[in-house]
Formats: sequence, structure tokens, C-alpha cells
Amino acid sequence: MKKIDLTPQLTGLKLKNPVIVSSGTYGFGEEYVSYYDSSLLGGLTVKGITPLPRLGNPVPRLAETPSGLLNSVGLENPGLEEFLRSYLPKLEKLNTAVIVNISGFSLDDYAQMVSSLSGNSCISALEVNISCPNIKHGGMAFGTNPHSAEEVIAVARKHTGLPLIAKLSPNVTDISEMAKAVASGGADIISLINTLLGMSIDIRTQKPVLANTMGGLSGPAVRPVALRMVYQVYQAVKLPIIGMGGISNWQDAVEFMLAGAAAVSVGTANFVNPMTPLEIISGLEEYCEQRGYSSVREIVGLAHR
Amino acid sequence: MLCEEKVVENKLIGHPALHLYKLVLNGQIAQTAEPGQFVHVKVGQTHDPLLRRPISIAGIDRKRGEITLYYRVAGRGTDLLTRLKENETLSILGPLGTGFTIPQKGELLLLAGGIGIFPLFSLIQAVEQTKVKIKLLWGGENRRFFESAGLEELRRIALDYEVSTLDGSLGTEGLITALLQDYLARNSRTLKFACDFQMQDQHILRAAACGPKGMLKAVTSMCLQESIPIEVSLEERMACGVGACLGCVCTVRGESGNVQRKRVCKDGPVFNGGEVIWDEEN
Repeated sequence: MKKIDLTPQLTGLKLKNPVIVSSGTYGFGEEYVSYYDSSLLGGLTVKGITPLPRLGNPVPRLAETPSGLLNSVGLENPGLEEFLRSYLPKLEKLNTAVIVNISGFSLDDYAQMVSSLSGNSCISALEVNISCPNIKHGGMAFGTNPHSAEEVIAVARKHTGLPLIAKLSPNVTDISEMAKAVASGGADIISLINTLLGMSIDIRTQKPVLANTMGGLSGPAVRPVALRMVYQVYQAVKLPIIGMGGISNWQDAVEFMLAGAAAVSVGTANFVNPMTPLEIISGLEEYCEQRGYSSVREIVGLAHR
Repeated sequence: MLCEEKVVENKLIGHPALHLYKLVLNGQIAQTAEPGQFVHVKVGQTHDPLLRRPISIAGIDRKRGEITLYYRVAGRGTDLLTRLKENETLSILGPLGTGFTIPQKGELLLLAGGIGIFPLFSLIQAVEQTKVKIKLLWGGENRRFFESAGLEELRRIALDYEVSTLDGSLGTEGLITALLQDYLARNSRTLKFACDFQMQDQHILRAAACGPKGMLKAVTSMCLQESIPIEVSLEERMACGVGACLGCVCTVRGESGNVQRKRVCKDGPVFNGGEVIWDEEN
């Protein structure tokens, strides 16, 4: 078997393979260590961090929908300081690229977080979450208006030399416009999609299932929407893309790469089969080998021919 | 651990209208499972239903390599599970979570609400091996429920139990709280004695409970009032089952009095009843 080059082309972000795990589905990396060696992953994106600790939303936070999952966790996290003190040292030992997802409620929040995180050699990139649907202020409010999205990214850019990933919300009319905005703000990479805003009602109690009424939809149900948006963003901007949204197996990953994703990220599928990321890595390798490619980079964007 | 377990048995138990099933699995899980833990079961082969289903472990037989699960058909997921046949395999994540403390001496008061009895079965099984005396108070809907959900088995092992039913068709009429109140009143002198011992950290009387949230809240407050330490097994909607997604949290008061979240799947499902904050302000 010929050795396939699995390294993706992501501005400034060096990964051993193109398979990442998504923020909010992998905790701080500790929960899956008993299932497999996380150093096999291309990268690991940690649970979204905010400047101060957050308790998140009340339960129920979850509702299962056809081939999908609604969540309204609401950015529960230990806060920046505790993350740096207790979690980052453990992440460093996992020997994989660590991507830190950050959320804020003001431009100052983003500036502060980006500055404090930038001095750490074990962080490979920052993913700026301007797309969380589960908090009342900040989050998605920044990510649904091109002007404020550009502004947030520009502020973050000013405070870091680390590769900057802008995570886009699908809850917009024109995803291309958002991609162009974060590109001119100075993002190095675009990741998409975050969850789609949705809801579920219990017909027995006649009330919303989620305590927060609405939540973010993920899982295979959102995959065609995510794929379409990756395809559009690939045409709109030159930045490399991390594609995500319902990816559950290697075939899904290939589809996203053909649409233009340089790398893919696995989220909800981790809950169903924790081995999904590793199965995707070997599936991609085999696909490339059978088709005669020497590098996974060769299949990126092929659907646009 | 992620593994394929072989189905030894999967059958309806008791009255068909109650939709209760017993599922026995053979494989690796039994070797490390502890009372109060659960397994995360993949019920289908497609994306729909998407998530695994958490089911508490009701019996552990290390020698035979078997675990016993009981489930009630509540939706499409559990309905799919009923179609599973002998010798077929099932994808299992487990054993997961933090289970019950197994007391080594004194007395254990078990409080079960409805099918909340099932996780307590594994605790009974473990405690039976010790010198600890067990007393079970079990509340349910009616006689039919108890006859379907394993009362015979409790009689067989000669367990000291009392039941309550909503319609009075078996045992005391009313809720489990009535049974508990009665028990506490009858034993108040012994309890006083026990409490004095507990002051010296002897813990000669402990309680463990599983059932609906309202019941757990009520029995916890009653037990704590009598200074009886109580462990409760909580239930919450889960996704990952391993503590990664923060979907299934409960709210607790930490040692320094601060309000914090804990994960039902990882830090629990069994918690110290005294730390749980039952009514969270939304």
C-alpha cells in the first residue's frame, strides 16, 4: 500500500491528518482517552470558553429529532482563567493539535481572550465562535451580521499571531457574504457550520422540550445544508475551509472535501460511535489510494470542476 | 469501553400492557460493572433514532459474564430494542457513570419509585453478600405493576420490603412518602441511636433511592431531616454518556456553598442527595 499524504492545507495550522473533533462534543479531551489514543486525531477543538465561568442553561438541554439532535447547553464552561490553569496542561499531554474555541459578549471579551490564549505554545489555533445560538447576547448576534462579524475577527486578528478560525453560523440568508466579511476581517481559516436554530414541542405537555425553548440542531439531519454552504463558501473566498455538520462516516467526509473542505470536523457522531474520527481517517486514506491520489489535498474542491 | 455484547435473552416480563422487558447480555461489561452504573445502547443500525439509549444495570454476573437490564418501552428507541433476538449482538458503551456506595456494615434503607427499582436490584445483589441488613420501601401504581416488575424475585430472596400502591390494590394505599414517614416514626428511637453513632461517622444507617424526581426530592428531605445520609440515582436526557457534551447536567451545591453543575452521566447518575439542588430557577 502506497503511503497517502494526509496533511491538509490549512493556513498556518499544521495537522497530521484532516480529521478534527468539534467544539462541545469532546469536552476538554479527557472523556474519550479510554476509547482511543487522541494523538491519532488531526486536531481537537475544546468546549467553547468564555471570559468568565458559565453555568449554562437549565435542563432539559437536549431533544432528539429525526436523524438529529437539538441542544441548548448554553456555553457552560469553567471560564478562561480556570481553563488555562486546570485544563490546558492536561490537553498538552494528549499530543494532538489543540484548537481553542472562544465566545464573547463584547469586542473587549474577544480581545482579552485572544490575548491571554496567544502566549501558550500548546495551542495550535483559535476558533472564534460568532455563531452560538444558545446565548442571549453575543455569540450568534455577532455572526449573523457581516459588519459585526468582520469587526470581531479584526479585533481578534489584532491580538494574536495564532491561526484564526472563524466559525460561521448557518442561520443567515447569505453565507457567502459572511465568509467574505470574516476574510476581510483577517481570518486564516473558515469553519462551518455551527448548529441550525430549531425547536421541538412535547405534544403531551404542550410545551417546548428544551428549557431554553430553542436550541441548535446538529447531526445527519443538517448535513445537506452544511455541504451546500461549504460549497458556496469555497466559491466565495480563497480561505481554507474546515467542513462540519452531520459528518458521520468517511463517505460524508469525502463529500465535504469534494465540496471544498480542506479538513473536516466530527461532532454529534462522536456520541453515537466514539470511533468515528479514526474510521474516517482510514476511510479517507483508502479512498485516496483506490483512486490513485497521493495526497488528500488533491480531492479538495473537485466537485467544482 | 465500546463493545459488542451478545443477547442471551430479551423478553417481555409481566403484564403486556406495562411494556416491561428484560434483556440479558453476555460479554465484557459484566467484568467491571458496578451497582448504579449504566450502559449506553445503540438501538438501531441507521441514523434514526440517532442517539444511544442509557439503561441502568440491574444485575451483574461476573462468573457467567452477563449483565441484566430492564427497560420499559417508552418510544421508538426502546421499541426497536424489543425486536432484538437471542444470539444477535448489540453495540454497548459501558459500564458508564458513578454508582452507589456499597455499605459494609449497618443497615441500608432502599427507596424505589416505580421502575426506579431496577438499578436498586444490582445494589441489593451486591449488599446481599455483606452483613448489611436491607429494608426496601417501594412505591408503585398498582398490584399489576408489582407483579410484573419483580416482586416475586424479592419474595424469593426473602427481602424485607413494604410496598405502597396508588389504588391500594397492594400494600399501603398512597405514595412511598407515606411508607417512609411510617417507617421513620416506627424507628425513631433506633434512628436516634443510629444518628448518635453517625455523629462519630459510623454511618450505621444509610439510604439509597431511585425514582421520579419529585419522589427523590421528597424522600431526600425526609431522610436528611433524620440525619440519614442518602444517595439518589438521577435520570436526565443524555447524548454522549461519557461526560463530553454537558447535555445531562444536574445542579448541586458544592462544598463551599457555591452552585455548580455536575454531569449525570459521568459524575453520577448516583449523587449524594444532600448536594442536589432540586428546583433550579430558570
